Amino acid sequence: MEYNGGAVVAMVGKNCVAIACDKRLGVQAMTISTEFKKIFQATPKTYLGLPGLATDVQTLAEKFRFKINMYKLKEEREIEPRTLAHLVSSTLYERRFGPWFTEPVVAGLDKNNNPFICNTDTIGCINFAKDFVVSGTSTNQLYGMCESLWEPDLEPEDLFETISQALMNAVDRDCLAGWGAEVVVITPDKIITRTLKSRMD
Amino acid sequence: METLFGITGKDFVIAAYDTKAVASITMMKIGEDKSRNLNDHSVMLYSGEPGDGVHFAEYIERNVKLNGIRHGLEMSPKAVASFARRELADSLRSRKPYSVNLLIAGYDVKKDTPALYWMDHLASSAEVPFAAHGYGAYYCLSMMDRYHRPDITEEEGIKLLKMCINELRTRMILNMPDFVAKVVTKEGIRVVQL
Amino acid sequence: MSRRYDSRTTIFSPEGRLYQVEYAMEAISHASTALGILSKEGVVIAAEKKVASKLLDQTTGGEKVYIINDNMICGVAGITSDANILIDYVQRSAQQYLYTFNEDMPCEQLVQKLCDLKQGYTQYGGLRPFGVSFIYAGWDEHYGFQLYHSDPSGNYSGWKATCIGANTAAAQGILRQEYKDEGLTLQEAKNLAIKVLSKTMDTTALGPDKLEFATLEIKDGRVIRRIFSTNEIEALLKENDLLSKTDEAKQ
Repeated sequence: MEYNGGAVVAMVGKNCVAIACDKRLGVQAMTISTEFKKIFQATPKTYLGLPGLATDVQTLAEKFRFKINMYKLKEEREIEPRTLAHLVSSTLYERRFGPWFTEPVVAGLDKNNNPFICNTDTIGCINFAKDFVVSGTSTNQLYGMCESLWEPDLEPEDLFETISQALMNAVDRDCLAGWGAEVVVITPDKIITRTLKSRMD
Repeated sequence: METLFGITGKDFVIAAYDTKAVASITMMKIGEDKSRNLNDHSVMLYSGEPGDGVHFAEYIERNVKLNGIRHGLEMSPKAVASFARRELADSLRSRKPYSVNLLIAGYDVKKDTPALYWMDHLASSAEVPFAAHGYGAYYCLSMMDRYHRPDITEEEGIKLLKMCINELRTRMILNMPDFVAKVVTKEGIRVVQL
Repeated sequence: MSRRYDSRTTIFSPEGRLYQVEYAMEAISHASTALGILSKEGVVIAAEKKVASKLLDQTTGGEKVYIINDNMICGVAGITSDANILIDYVQRSAQQYLYTFNEDMPCEQLVQKLCDLKQGYTQYGGLRPFGVSFIYAGWDEHYGFQLYHSDPSGNYSGWKATCIGANTAAAQGILRQEYKDEGLTLQEAKNLAIKVLSKTMDTTALGPDKLEFATLEIKDGRVIRRIFSTNEIEALLKENDLLSKTDEAKQ
């Protein structure tokens, strides 16, 4: 986790969810790239966040793209976020005794547009949440920010502001994360993707 | 010990390597080629465990060439970099992983853009405007941060590289003899002595 | 002892023919028709759907047209169960390629990959060949829109318009006559596909429930695959005045 750095957070709002990540890729203290995204679109209404060891982030993003595409071709429908969470869990548990070093986050709206978020540990133990989930090197800071900023039933624009402030202020206190951020708000009829400028030091 | 550089510009990429062959604390040779041309528009620089670098780079080179012969299509820099990453990532979780750092510099003829990929021995890869590997990176990334622009010309790129090398020769305790640069453009790959 | 020779079904006959492969092709010529037409703006795949009984559950997706990748679709004629195996194989191959190279697999490579598998079953003894022909429609950045055909022997070829299954001779005759040298628009290709099917299908009444229809085109640099719903096929038939009398009477 601490080798490359990075943070992901997801939040539930009123009929919407948001997921956000920072964009740093580093090797310990040295920053290599500020365009390294850690959240990936799984379906039109579901995103997968993968903070952690960069090589595993990339490998898993590719692996899950493979599995999600095959699911779509075989089932002739999109995978539900809850189903994806269990797919993530079992994929990670396959490597119980030599794990992928990443703690994934799933955020999305299901077929009835009910919000769904969860995260797992490195071996796929799922934590379902009704409010927010955090992951990556800034978890402590993010818990503090989310605990104080989040409230129930936020509208999409308010949710965007809340998650952005939570992430930006958390990564500013983490030397391994930050250098820009990306926020995605998923609503029943559209997806809002915004790139945030933040402190670059 | 070893240093690799890469800089992209408007219509080119420069990839440079020092020509030292090192075994432990002894310098064995000056004039070592640490690059392999993968096809007409991509080149791979490698550093790290001595045997691994050559073996891995030539393995990738041969496979990329075979792919070109089989299908009559040149692989894009992105495809080459993805393929190299896949192989390195698979090797990472094998019994004896390769220990190599890579820079892949290419020119995407279809999209008409230069491309530079940074990749470390764990197979984390990123497309970047400029990059460096080795201890030299600690000195030179800040230099490139300051002087690099996306639209620099080839002359400015070479000049920036020379500034970086100069910095290494003044500040680093290691002996930094000569560097070789490979410039990739739409026309292909050519060698520049620095 | 003779079993050693009998069990190998795929050996040359004294005349130099591979009977098993020819029988497989024969099986396909009894299957329902599928055709593909290349146009300047996209590719059309159309197929005849044989409805065995009105009691048959039609809720699951079609069995003549499949998506094999983001940039490719295909039409099938032959033994459906054989086709399912091969389709799963190409879908996986395409995803495996995407996994390794982070790019969509070029169309011809994907066709070649499947044909290598098919070829294997004409050579390794004791197994029968796959009784399936395919029509592939695809787009890639190397050659743009493409239309391919492959048969049980593992041969494949590129076409401007072609046809597999029953009545291929008649269908190809019409295609040859109607295909303009300078190419067609997508709409012309759609109309031609409907026309050919209406003339070659065994049934007298052409209805939306007897067809499967799909197109592949490019919008804003992205490949759009469209598999037509029953209503869309009905609209297309109406445009071409080919909706059968009985169907119109029903409405």
